[in-house]
Amino acid sequence: MKQDARRNAPSLSRFVTIAPPLFLVVILALVPLAHPGPNAIRLLFISLVWITASVGWNILGGVAGQVSFGFAVFYGLGAYATAISLNAGLDRLPSLALAALVGATTSLLVGLPTFRLRGPYFAIATIGVSEAVRVVMTNLAVTGGASGYRITEKGAFNQRLHFYVALGLAAGAVAISMLIRHSKLGLALISIREDEDAASDLGVNPYATKLLTHALAAALTAAAGGVYAGYSAFVHPNGVFGFDISVAILLMPIIGGIGTVWGPVIGAVVYGLVQEELIASFPQFHLFLYGALLILIILFEPGGVLGLINQLIRFVKARTGVGAHT
Amino acid sequence: MNTADFLNLLVAAVLLAGVYAAMSVGMTIIYGVLKIVNLAHAGFLMLGAYFVYELYTRANIDPLLGVILAFPVFFLIGVAVYWLLVRRIPRSDQPTLSSLLLLFGLWLVLQNLGYLIWGNGDHAILTPRTFSTFQIGPIIFPTVRLVVFGAAVASLACLEFALHRTWFGRAIRALMQNSDAGRIAGVHVDRTAQVAFGIGIAFAGAAGGLLAMMYSFTPDFGGSFLLRAFVIIVLGGLESFAGVAVGALILALVETFSILLIPSGYQPAISFSLLVLALVILPDGVAGLWKKRQRLA
Repeated sequence: MKQDARRNAPSLSRFVTIAPPLFLVVILALVPLAHPGPNAIRLLFISLVWITASVGWNILGGVAGQVSFGFAVFYGLGAYATAISLNAGLDRLPSLALAALVGATTSLLVGLPTFRLRGPYFAIATIGVSEAVRVVMTNLAVTGGASGYRITEKGAFNQRLHFYVALGLAAGAVAISMLIRHSKLGLALISIREDEDAASDLGVNPYATKLLTHALAAALTAAAGGVYAGYSAFVHPNGVFGFDISVAILLMPIIGGIGTVWGPVIGAVVYGLVQEELIASFPQFHLFLYGALLILIILFEPGGVLGLINQLIRFVKARTGVGAHT
Repeated sequence: MNTADFLNLLVAAVLLAGVYAAMSVGMTIIYGVLKIVNLAHAGFLMLGAYFVYELYTRANIDPLLGVILAFPVFFLIGVAVYWLLVRRIPRSDQPTLSSLLLLFGLWLVLQNLGYLIWGNGDHAILTPRTFSTFQIGPIIFPTVRLVVFGAAVASLACLEFALHRTWFGRAIRALMQNSDAGRIAGVHVDRTAQVAFGIGIAFAGAAGGLLAMMYSFTPDFGGSFLLRAFVIIVLGGLESFAGVAVGALILALVETFSILLIPSGYQPAISFSLLVLALVILPDGVAGLWKKRQRLA
């Protein structure tokens, strides 16, 4: 029945998938008009930055099944690229585009040698690359080395502007993720995740597809880093290239529900809200908790929050007897 | 560079290769039998370092004896970790998403447990051996590195003996080569995998102790060695013990001689560059070269 209805009214079903996210974006866009105070906007801003990175990681790690432990590389390079081009006098949007380009280009450096081979090569290489890049940036004199790099602001600090840029980017990331999910590319990615040999037998080119997806995910993450850099006006290697950034970017989609469209968004919001409190109260302990959380999720509910919700719905349905023969 | 300098660097590289091989062999066993990459290897290297350190500072037990004690202790830890966590994830002939993430989570837990217990300051094991050297002709041998090399080679020899001369070792090798055939021949897969994981962790802990005799360490100690271990086993072809030795020697030579060319700040980039090179030039590792030659012959 449902299937038939969808076939008869494709525009309606499309409306059903597109309307709630659009509604969400409009609501979020209206939030600053209610004058909620700078701290609330800051929290929302950070969550939006995390959403972008989390959705980006998920396209590669969740949908295509290629786990990266080093997305801080792209986040950090995006932050530095944006900071440098803003100081060079470039406008905000072109510098973000440049950051995305830098991210996509760098992604090839890891992808070209490792994606040709199957097996754990890519995952391990990402650990090495993030370490190597952080070390190089700490020693690089042009960008101030370990002491960081400052953006000289031209105008007055406009928090709303930063918020809207972050909102636009996050909305764009979710839109891309939805498009991929409903396209042939999405099917190709899932087939690579499930069985690379079968995928290539069916005419998917795993090497090119993985490279493309990696570049896309890296571009989104780099843009997220750029948005963050524009806001904080100061970047330093241990902050934006830090190991905990890589951990965060991989943890968020897993918390929410790996491989889904909305899981990474939910995970990023949960993470963005919890993380501030957690770091303040347990400065060293938070990574310990993240590790424990990761283990628990993988062992007991690999579907994350969305998986839990689905289980709950099934449980309630079974209890109330919806669909049961009475 | 004169001959004496060259010989000194060469000796330093060979001595380093011994401990690198001991550090990587555990990862090879676990990869070979279970087909998972033990990302928590770094955490166990770190725990091994602090284990030997605590025994030395609290009970005044010689670090070398500490390393020997680390074998049974970390074996039991490894068996427990297998029973608690690793056996619950689905088996596959390829490292799966869930195995990578699970062991990554375990690494985070161990690393930050280290921070909780020992803080983020540098620790070091200083014995009378640490700074003593002796000289043969123009070549200077740091005593501690010789001791570490001896211990590493001895433990590798014991492992080699166990793998080739005992039924259990043959079972492990059978699973590494062809797990289905091993199962048909009567190998108890789950129990063998548990012991193999224990041996892998035992070597990680002991190698951590050996490394701690040479370098100062923090709870983040294992991270850079994790990548080195992976470079070594990739160079060695992932599942070959002889390959590990060759891989360890290659990495040690490159690292030692690169000091002449590359500023020390950029050292951590070396193992990564070597990894990329290895993947491009020899994706099957050094062992792949031998196999190719055999096939041609």
